[in-house]
Amino acid sequence: MFDLLPHLLNGLVLGLLLALIALGFMLIIGLMEQINLAHGSLFALGAYFALMLVGPKPPLPADLAAQWLQIPLGWRYGMALIIAPCLAGIVGIAVELCMRRTYGKDPLYGLLLTFGVALVLEEIIRLTWGTRDHVLPVPAGMSGAFLFSDLIWSRYRFYAAGMAAVAIGLVWLLIEKTPYGAMIKAGAHDSEMVRALGVNLSKLRLGVFVLGTMLAAFAGIVVAPIWGIRPHMGVDAVVPAFLIIVLGGIGSFWGAVIASLLVGLAVGISGAYASEWSLLSMYLLLVAVVSIRARGLFGKKSMLEV
Amino acid sequence: MTGSSSEARLITPTMLGAWLVLATVPLWINAIGLYPYIGVEIVIWSIYALAFNLVLGTSGLPSFGHGAFFGVGAYAFGLTQFNIAANLWVCLAGAILAGAFAGLIVGLLIAHRRGIYFALMTIAFGQIFWTISVKWHSVTGGEDGLLNILRLPATFGVVSFDISDNETLYYFVLAVFAVVVMLLWRLVNSPYGRILSAIRQSETRTAHLGYNVWLYKLSVIVISAGLSGFAGGLFAMAQRSAFPDVMNLAQSGLIVMMTLVGGGLVSFWGPVIGVIIFLIARDVIGAMTNAWALYFGAMFVLLVLFRPEGIAGGAKLLMERWKARREASRVLSSAPRSG
Repeated sequence: MFDLLPHLLNGLVLGLLLALIALGFMLIIGLMEQINLAHGSLFALGAYFALMLVGPKPPLPADLAAQWLQIPLGWRYGMALIIAPCLAGIVGIAVELCMRRTYGKDPLYGLLLTFGVALVLEEIIRLTWGTRDHVLPVPAGMSGAFLFSDLIWSRYRFYAAGMAAVAIGLVWLLIEKTPYGAMIKAGAHDSEMVRALGVNLSKLRLGVFVLGTMLAAFAGIVVAPIWGIRPHMGVDAVVPAFLIIVLGGIGSFWGAVIASLLVGLAVGISGAYASEWSLLSMYLLLVAVVSIRARGLFGKKSMLEV
Repeated sequence: MTGSSSEARLITPTMLGAWLVLATVPLWINAIGLYPYIGVEIVIWSIYALAFNLVLGTSGLPSFGHGAFFGVGAYAFGLTQFNIAANLWVCLAGAILAGAFAGLIVGLLIAHRRGIYFALMTIAFGQIFWTISVKWHSVTGGEDGLLNILRLPATFGVVSFDISDNETLYYFVLAVFAVVVMLLWRLVNSPYGRILSAIRQSETRTAHLGYNVWLYKLSVIVISAGLSGFAGGLFAMAQRSAFPDVMNLAQSGLIVMMTLVGGGLVSFWGPVIGVIIFLIARDVIGAMTNAWALYFGAMFVLLVLFRPEGIAGGAKLLMERWKARREASRVLSSAPRSG
């Protein structure tokens, strides 16, 4: 039994990271009832923006770049964690302004629109940063490895899981403990009434979408040192995000978090027995759960089904 | 484009026109700077897109995992050829059966779904098939795919046609395409097809009219998957190989895109128009720049924003406007006479 422990721990860490990846996606689908297929590309964009700031070649004039590189890596990394999501947020504003036209129509249109956006963003990434893999440097204090119960553990994974847990907590506070969450949820159900109550719904939706993209970018930066940076990373990330949302049930915050942990554990444990096939386990988990509970673990009836 | 009188026919004037134009393609395709192989690809993808549109356009089920069925058909074609019999008809039957069987499994688990849940589940299933195709080395050859698939001769009793070069292969797939178009036209305009359209408009209402909506949805998924598998088999033969690539999310998204760009939601021929435009644009833009996906993605965004019913929808609108204007001018010109 004890030899399963590292796999369980790895699974939990993976689960937290998956929850972080799904967080922005969940916010947009849960509060706005819009599917953002560009989530993966924004996730990748966040990682690339961070690479620009932390990496060895910042896009600055030579003398400024030299000064920038003088700043310790830890500081630069910390700043990247804030600046890169903001840059991605600007892209998010542009996407939301386009997406606005699809509100109130068949949700399929929003999905298709963001599929097109995803194609564009991925191609822009290819053109700007090339197709090769990059590595995002991490401050020395966070990298390296330590020994625990005769096994070598990567320190960064635990820092990443910690950051994921903090982000999840903050988002929960925002949507459950402030009036904004309630307003936006109400707006998805009856936008006319919410407007009549004097809420500026368009601004609120823009805010949610931008927050969703910023979370996607933040997840990209946190995960990048573990999974590496490449143009395809967005697609690799968005598929588990979908799966987690469906598994947890659309519109359920804790459903998504629990689903992420389940997926993480499923991948971790199956990795112990058949590492080649561990990715398949999450799909099988989905099929198993959804054939018993049609709306996922904690899903409620949503207007996306009509 | 589709008058009510042509709906009852087996072969419509539009079909004849399309076949005739397509039949002359090898005569002039080199002259306009393209090559016969793109013709083969266009016809095969048209079959695929028409099969896909049975689910999306006719029944209103947004599938984002259709690449799985196409890919399963492609692998089945190759595997049948290597393990069972190197006969074209057997291999194609294998592709259809494998596609339909995959459709049955997926359909059983998702046929009670609709809307976005349906879309998300199809994405998950698409990924399952893709993962299997990448990981199951001993059968699928992993990332390398199945190689050395032959273009088998088409035998009809004693006569046998060699279809190994691109031009004869083109005529073979065109003949197959003609049959598929006829069958699909009959299917869409049959009572069965009408119930599918009714399901698209309102599933609840159709169910209340006493139709077993679940069975209709399941059956259309199976038919569409079988036909997609068939197209996949033809594609494997054309490419002489089968790769996992055709099954990934981006490729499954592309078929949705092609179908919508052409206007599959409003027109039977929409998917074909979309495939032609997409594949030619890919080659032409691809020859000029590596970033063709950038332009195509941008085009697609604009299309969803401003013309969600696609090119065929736009053409319909223009036709109606033109008719209305002609009508108006007729009324105007006849007005002085009557007055």
